[in-house]
Amino acid sequence: MDTRRDDFGIAVRSAFLAKGNQQRFSLFALIIFSIVLIFIETIETKPLNTIRSIIKDTIYRGSLTVSLPKKSFVSFFDFTKNHVKLYENYSHLKIENNKLRNNIAKSEFLELENAQLRKLIDEQVASSSSLVSARVMLDKQSPYLNSFIISSGSNKKIKNGMAALDGVNFIGRIVDVNFFSSRILLVSDLNSKIPAITEPSGFHAIISGHGKNEPTLEYLPENHNIKNGDKIYTSGKEGVFSPGIPIGEVKIENNKVKVILFSNLNQITFVNIDLNKN
Amino acid sequence: MALSLKNTILKFIQLFPLLLLFYISLSGNSLINLKYFTINISYIVVYYWVLRKPEALGYGFIFLSGIITDVIYGFPFGTHALSLLVISAVAAYVRVVTVRITLLGDWISFFPALILTNLVYFMSLYFLNFEIDYFILFINSISTLCAYPLLWVIFSIFLNITKL
Repeated sequence: MDTRRDDFGIAVRSAFLAKGNQQRFSLFALIIFSIVLIFIETIETKPLNTIRSIIKDTIYRGSLTVSLPKKSFVSFFDFTKNHVKLYENYSHLKIENNKLRNNIAKSEFLELENAQLRKLIDEQVASSSSLVSARVMLDKQSPYLNSFIISSGSNKKIKNGMAALDGVNFIGRIVDVNFFSSRILLVSDLNSKIPAITEPSGFHAIISGHGKNEPTLEYLPENHNIKNGDKIYTSGKEGVFSPGIPIGEVKIENNKVKVILFSNLNQITFVNIDLNKN
Repeated sequence: MALSLKNTILKFIQLFPLLLLFYISLSGNSLINLKYFTINISYIVVYYWVLRKPEALGYGFIFLSGIITDVIYGFPFGTHALSLLVISAVAAYVRVVTVRITLLGDWISFFPALILTNLVYFMSLYFLNFEIDYFILFINSISTLCAYPLLWVIFSIFLNITKL
């Protein structure tokens, strides 16, 4: 019995404490360091936040660089696929071309306008309505967390808790701000709780995210008379967001009040951040 | 010249597990998200290489890769790093107590390693008041366990070819 216990002790000591060939740190030391790091994560101080911001900004840029070959491969694949379908689409394009010729003047104007707007968004110029536009930099769809990384941070006066919009529609809130990047927690995430008001019924409620499924309205009064198609806006309660930002509409299914968002969260390239807190 | 090219290739082969681990962390592919299930590929990479060739993956690098995954996926600092170190610890223990390495033996020992790792992962997220879908975590554990033999075979073929 004692021998067996000794063997176990030797094996554990050998696995945890021995550094082995080409190992600079022992496992035990690194595990302790990780636990300390998790404890430090609960502390919010300016120097710590600065260090976190620098680390996160560096890793986001690194991730962007590493993802480039994959993105290029996908573009190349799409390019090749388009070439394969070239002859197939030829007759269709010929008809379309005739139609487009008639509207050429109009489309030239639209192209010019589009180029100007894109330039405006790329340069991230703040509009007079205190919105800051930013590009979605990383969209790593984790099964656990629904979030985006955008290419603006405290350099554009973005702060934690600000509302993120797709056009004018609410899609989430800022949960993490670095110098040159921020993270948006989408309204569909499990950790997302957004104060909202229904229209025209005027009930206050909380929109709770459920990961892959649609968000639901919770904490509604028992005798509510909410119907399919009722609109939902931010309520502005507790001073979190400006009131009246459109979010989605009601769809009642199996006695659950679901929220169909106005924006498709999988199709977002640019976002606006509302710098106005309520 | 030829010798130097050979050395470069050899160096690249030696660094392959490390490069693979960092690539999957930085590109955000630690968790392969398929339609009905997710596979935690970094757990498999770390477990296999710590078990078979511990000198190919330094514990410091494993820790760093965990930190990168935490940042990319927006988890609190240290949660993935701790999980990866726990799975490395189990692999290191299994390496010490076993003599012959077989697919079945590895696969069986990977099961308690996954349970312990996910327990630590759950506890650290619970401590930080961070809510995740635990059903997805459960499915992830099952699918990671199922995917292990496939990657085991691929890595073993790589080891045999390169004679690392």
